[in-house]
Amino acid sequence: MSNNPIVKGKLVCVALNDSEQFNAMQAEFAEAPYKGAPTQPVLYFKPHNTWSTDGSVVEWADGAESMVVGASLAVVVGKECCRVSETEALDYVEGYTLVHDFSLVEQNYYRPDIKGKCLDTSAPIGAEVVAVADPQALTVVTSVNGTVVNETPVAQLVRGVAELISTISYIMTLQAGDVIAVGFPGQRAPVAKGDKVNSVIAGVTELNNTLGE
Amino acid sequence: MKHARVLFNGSELDVTVEDSFAETGLLKSKVDGQLINEADVTWLSPIKEPGTIFALGLNYADHAAELAFEPPKEPLVFLKGANTLTGHKQNAYRPDNIEFQHYECELVAVIGKEGKNIAREDAMDYIAGYTVCNDFAIRDYLENYYRPNLRVKSRDSLCPIGPWLIDKDDVGDISNLKLTTHVNGELTQEGTTADIIFDVPFLVEYLSKIMTLKPGDMIATGTPKGLKDMQPGDTVVCEIEKVGALVTNIVSEQTFYGDKY
Repeated sequence: MSNNPIVKGKLVCVALNDSEQFNAMQAEFAEAPYKGAPTQPVLYFKPHNTWSTDGSVVEWADGAESMVVGASLAVVVGKECCRVSETEALDYVEGYTLVHDFSLVEQNYYRPDIKGKCLDTSAPIGAEVVAVADPQALTVVTSVNGTVVNETPVAQLVRGVAELISTISYIMTLQAGDVIAVGFPGQRAPVAKGDKVNSVIAGVTELNNTLGE
Repeated sequence: MKHARVLFNGSELDVTVEDSFAETGLLKSKVDGQLINEADVTWLSPIKEPGTIFALGLNYADHAAELAFEPPKEPLVFLKGANTLTGHKQNAYRPDNIEFQHYECELVAVIGKEGKNIAREDAMDYIAGYTVCNDFAIRDYLENYYRPNLRVKSRDSLCPIGPWLIDKDDVGDISNLKLTTHVNGELTQEGTTADIIFDVPFLVEYLSKIMTLKPGDMIATGTPKGLKDMQPGDTVVCEIEKVGALVTNIVSEQTFYGDKY
């Protein structure tokens, strides 16, 4: 089923987890249709048709005028993880990699964004799974055609790695080979056909993709 | 033909369902033709390698009205994790400290062939067959972010599916199939697929315009009106004419998770 050797079951992504975006949107959260800030992590799946690899060409969405990208630190689950506490959560991690989430521009967060998020090949996942002692100390830097467009310290996320693993594990049992993309920059970077996107976690791993024509 | 997957003598086994099943309970091994009695198996999800699970919200006009929503102008599609799937006659749990958990009896169309940009008139060529699911919802957990959010709709065991996958041609026309749900023997939900707003050919065209559909992907087409709260100890039967009757036992969160609770 998988077009990627690392993700075997599900790829769970966390939206609205950049504290800069989360704080900036408070007034909007109070209005319809949201009528209140999220009290829980805002989760979405990138289904199996979206999975692709480091070095892959990402299809340009049919008829799309614009697309955006965000990069996230990704947790690769190493063993079955069901209802674990925050303090034990990291014991269930095999290691870390990167995920690019290519999508249409995020317009709102009220309904599941199937049209925007489920595009074929739109979720490249890094080639290696790397053990890291403290994922909260990492920073994800993304460049488009060599220019840095986003720099997101994991410490800037509203909910950190261990908390997310714990919370999600109470909703759904995680299995070895499930991947959680823990948070993307609130300001997703616009991309154009043919652009080269590079994300790096210094000393850990990097992920390179090119937009199709 | 009806295709099922069961646990038999500790191993997963692909079986077909004998024509005499209603009287005899007999299943036939696809491996060696051995006849097996239903009493000796545990039913599994009939889809061996589940792909993307699409589900429809508010896709019956009467149900949308029941929830005080305008019928949508575009399909409300959400995705579910494969952790939600469980088989016929298995347990599904009611989370602790909630007010309202309801069943949703749904016709599921299972994709049998890969395709992208499939036209409505070709859509049925891409369907392998049908099954029934019970797409439970916990209304307490609804939030207005990617609603219905994963906390409501992607919980372990809360999408029982089965008992079997029945070949498309054995069902024929799906545009007016009766759906019923019984809770502890009492009829609590009754409808017909004639009230579906966005039908299977529409959904195949719509989804395949966005993304490639692949074998094992499934589309749960939504539920008619008739919501009712569930409690541990309840037995729920979701039945769709010509397709099958799916039985689920509701247990407490503690019973379901056992040592992991």
